[in-house]
Amino acid sequence: MILFIAKRLASTLITFLIVSIIIFLMMHAVPGGPFDGNDMPVSEAVRAKLMAQLGLDKPLYVQYFKYMYGVFHFDFGVPFQSPGETVLELLARAWPASLILGGSGMLIGVPLGILLGMMAALKRNSWVDYLASAVATLGLTVPVFVTSMLLILVFAVWLEWLPAKGWGEPRNWILPIIAYATIPMATYARYTRSAMLDTLNKPFVTVLRAKGLSESRIIFQHVLRNSAIPMVTVFLPMFVGIATGSIFVEAMFRVPGLGAYFVSSIRNRDYPLEMALMLMITVLFCLSYLISDIAYAWLNPRIRLDGRKS
Amino acid sequence: MSIATDAAPEQKQRSPLSLVWLRFKANRAAVASGIVLIVLVSMAIFAPFLTKASYEAQNYLERGLETPSAEFWFGIDDLGRDFFSRIVYGARVSLTIGFASALFSVLIGIPLGALAGYYGGWVDWFVMRVIELFSVVPPLLAAMLLGALTQGGFLTVVVIASLFGWVQVCLLVRAQVKAFKEKEFVRAAVALGASPTYIIRRHLVPNSISPIIVGFVLAIPLAMMLEAGLSFLGIGVQPPVPSWGQMINVGMNFMFFYWHMAVFPTLALAVTVLATTFFGDGLRDALDPTLRDR
Repeated sequence: MILFIAKRLASTLITFLIVSIIIFLMMHAVPGGPFDGNDMPVSEAVRAKLMAQLGLDKPLYVQYFKYMYGVFHFDFGVPFQSPGETVLELLARAWPASLILGGSGMLIGVPLGILLGMMAALKRNSWVDYLASAVATLGLTVPVFVTSMLLILVFAVWLEWLPAKGWGEPRNWILPIIAYATIPMATYARYTRSAMLDTLNKPFVTVLRAKGLSESRIIFQHVLRNSAIPMVTVFLPMFVGIATGSIFVEAMFRVPGLGAYFVSSIRNRDYPLEMALMLMITVLFCLSYLISDIAYAWLNPRIRLDGRKS
Repeated sequence: MSIATDAAPEQKQRSPLSLVWLRFKANRAAVASGIVLIVLVSMAIFAPFLTKASYEAQNYLERGLETPSAEFWFGIDDLGRDFFSRIVYGARVSLTIGFASALFSVLIGIPLGALAGYYGGWVDWFVMRVIELFSVVPPLLAAMLLGALTQGGFLTVVVIASLFGWVQVCLLVRAQVKAFKEKEFVRAAVALGASPTYIIRRHLVPNSISPIIVGFVLAIPLAMMLEAGLSFLGIGVQPPVPSWGQMINVGMNFMFFYWHMAVFPTLALAVTVLATTFFGDGLRDALDPTLRDR
């Protein structure tokens, strides 16, 4: 187990380094520099001075090593678009809004999705099943900004119940949270349904029924527990996946969260912020895969991670 | 012997293809999506005959921002363009990007998947590591970087979508090739002295046709969603070429007063993506019932 984790950590580190090089090169290959835009027209001399000050006149590999040295010391530099703070401070400022949205979306979406998936699996080919399939397909295929747009049109423009955009009051949170919740709800409705159906068809369920166990005990004590594995393992990657969804939801509802910085850092060639955001997502993705692999092995003792036959 | 044959109830011989068709026909959602798709595709092909004005003809000095009327079915947008023709031409953009990206995904995915599945060993290891690299970077973020790198545009979106679309096709083909390379007929071909390229081309790829079709069809909605997302953020298809994602972004600013600018592109995108997904799911279930629910 420990060997497996060590191996995976090492491979994660290598992936992380490769990804960081690719992102760094791509980022700098984008034509234009941070001071070429129309927002900050500066003279040639000032531009050169600024570039020198920020170390952007050095060769790329020097810049890369300098940045990565900082990264391993938790120093992600200073964002060009708001030089009064460090990247970490900026992230800490923008994070809460995204966290409230994402966290509440998960808190609402996951249980609802599990419930829907369970009901669909238990009452196959009933209206609940069709509803669950419809929700799962809609949530997984329709882009989240389309869902958001429909929510805004119905609840803000047509019914005028809730504000369409803004942040601050809890009233503003309702629509974006619903928009967010559709993703985990759809994912969980689909996974729970197929996992439960898989388990329900196993011979041991027939044995339990033959033993005369009540249906509710069969479902809650045996079927649900045995279906939990895929449900646990999709959780973390989905949680990180939601981070990219935040770009759209936050843009649609004008939420001052992290999402907007993904776009603005690329647009403004804000290299330190861009790099920090990309690396953060990559690390979260790698770690979430690692943790779900470990959770998978822990929940299912039949899986042996170190490759030894038990 | 002959008596037994005569006495047996008449059983119609069915080709595998007609079985697929039978299974597909039974799936009502898939058939309905197929019809919707045919309508959308013909709309895209015959766009010039369906619309009164070009999608980029502007008339903002005389008329701009009008809600739908008998003359302009979907209204007029902020620059005085016929919104109906923009939606119809948007179908062209969305579908072309979807199909082209799916095609390129398949073209990249088949050879890599076949090589990885057939040779195994370090070829397989290498291909799998590349796939792993693609799986830790969220496609949207990488696409945003690439989009910024190339300043967006039609071709860029196709390249980005294929770059991330081939993974699925590759995995499907790899699994199929791996399963088939141990079959007797392949071993017979090896024994007869057939070269690996011949075996892959003549036996393994044709036998992977159902996963390839499935991969192709399922790559279409993904590419369309990526296009819409990038265009929504302003780094995909550039104006004046109409894209639904881009129109949703513009429509957002007008939705309280001119709802048509937000509603029509949103519905068009939702219907198209849903129809392609349902069609693809139906085709997958019909071609290979064992892949269901995956």
